[in-house]
Amino acid sequence: MKPLLALVVDDSILVRSAIKEIIKLCGGFVIFEASNGQIAVDTYKDVRPDLVFLDIVMPIRDGIDALIEIKAFDPQATVVIVSAVATHSQVKRAIQAGASDFVQKPWEQSRIISIVEKVKEKKRGM
Amino acid sequence: MFSLYFGHYLLNRGLITPDQLTDALDLTESVHLKLGVLAVNAGYMTASRVGKVHQMQTKVDRMFGELAIELGFLTKKQLDDLLSTQKQGHLLLGQALVDKDYLSLEQLQVALDEYKKAYGLSEGQIYKLQQGDVDEIVNTFVRIADSPEKALYTFYISLMLRNVIRFIDNSPRVESSQIPEKLNAEWLVWQEITGSVNLFTAIAAEEPVFMDLARRYSGQGLLEPDELAQASVAEFLNLHNGLFLVNMSNNGVELEMKPQLIGQNKTVTGLGTGCIVPVYLRSGRFDVIISDSNPAL
Repeated sequence: MKPLLALVVDDSILVRSAIKEIIKLCGGFVIFEASNGQIAVDTYKDVRPDLVFLDIVMPIRDGIDALIEIKAFDPQATVVIVSAVATHSQVKRAIQAGASDFVQKPWEQSRIISIVEKVKEKKRGM
Repeated sequence: MFSLYFGHYLLNRGLITPDQLTDALDLTESVHLKLGVLAVNAGYMTASRVGKVHQMQTKVDRMFGELAIELGFLTKKQLDDLLSTQKQGHLLLGQALVDKDYLSLEQLQVALDEYKKAYGLSEGQIYKLQQGDVDEIVNTFVRIADSPEKALYTFYISLMLRNVIRFIDNSPRVESSQIPEKLNAEWLVWQEITGSVNLFTAIAAEEPVFMDLARRYSGQGLLEPDELAQASVAEFLNLHNGLFLVNMSNNGVELEMKPQLIGQNKTVTGLGTGCIVPVYLRSGRFDVIISDSNPAL
C-alpha cells in the first residue's frame, strides 16, 4: 500500500520530534519536516502531503501566512494548526485561513492520533 | 511546597542547618503525617494541647482527632481540614524536624508564630500556603515593585509557577529579587510579547539548571546543551507564554508573541521596572524575567 505523506512544521525540534513520534505510532506515513512557514510552503508544493501539522509562531514566516499560501495552492489541503496561542482571535484567523482543525499545546496524544487516523481513513477510502 | 518556604525561613534564621533541612525534606517524602503536628502547623492547637491529647492516648485507645474534638481543642471542620491535608500526603516539614529531634514541638510552634508575624500571615493564609495555593505563595513571597504593570507581572509569575509545577517540578520555591543593572546569563531563552502592552519575557539559567529544565520538560535523558536541549527550554517558555496569551485573551486583552530565541553567555541591561523572580528547583535556581521595557542584549 502506498504510504501517505505528512508534513510537520514547527520551529522547535522538540515539538517536531514529538508529533513525528505520534504519527509513527499510527503508522502508514512518510514524514517531512519544516522549521518555518517558508520551508513549509516550499515543501508542501514539492511533496503535496496528505496532512500538515502547522505551528503559528515561527521565524521568517508565520503559520497563518503559510496556511493562506498552501490553501491558495491547494484548496483541498488538510492543515491542522498546533499552537500554544489558542486565543479566540487566533483560532478564528486559522479557521478563516482554511485550517481543518486547531490543536492547543500541550496536546493530548489521543487528539493527534484521532486526527491522523481520520486522515488515513479518508485517504484510504478515496 | 509550604515546607520549602518555612524550611528556608528556619535555615535563614539559623535554627536548622542545611543538612538538617535536606534530611527533613527527604523524610517528608516518606513518612506518614501525624495529626498533632498538623494541628500545630495549622495553628489550630498549641503544643501543650497536643501533648495533653497524646498523654490521653496512652491511657485510652482512641483516635487523636476524636479526643481533640471531645476536649474542645478542635472543631469538626478543623479536623476535616487536617484529615484532608493528611490525605494529600504532604508531610509537613515540622513533623520531620520534630521526628529527627532537630527541633522540639515547642520550638517549632515559636518559629511558626514568628514566621507568621514576619510575613503578616493569617491562619487562613497559612492554610492556603499549606494547600499549595499558588496565588497566595506569589503574593506572600514575591515582592513585585509598584508599577502600572504590577498586576500583570503578578499574574504572569503565578501562571509560570503553575506551569513549572505542571511541567517541570512539583515543588519549586520562588523568592523575591531586585532587577539588577546588568544580568549575566550563561543561558538565556527569551520571547517578546506585543500588543496593547509590549513585554520582554525570559528564562535565565546556569548550564546545570538549564539542562535540568531541558531534561524535565522533554522527558528525555539529554546530556549536552545541544539543539534539542535548547529547544526544550525554549518550548517551555513558548508554551507558558501561549497559555499566558490565552488567559489574557479571556480577559479581553489580545496580545501576540514573536518566536522564542536562545543565546549563550548573554548580558541583559535595561530591564527597567520589570520583575525578576528566582525559581528554585532541587538542581538549583533559574530566573524568570518579565519587563515592559526593551532591554539590550
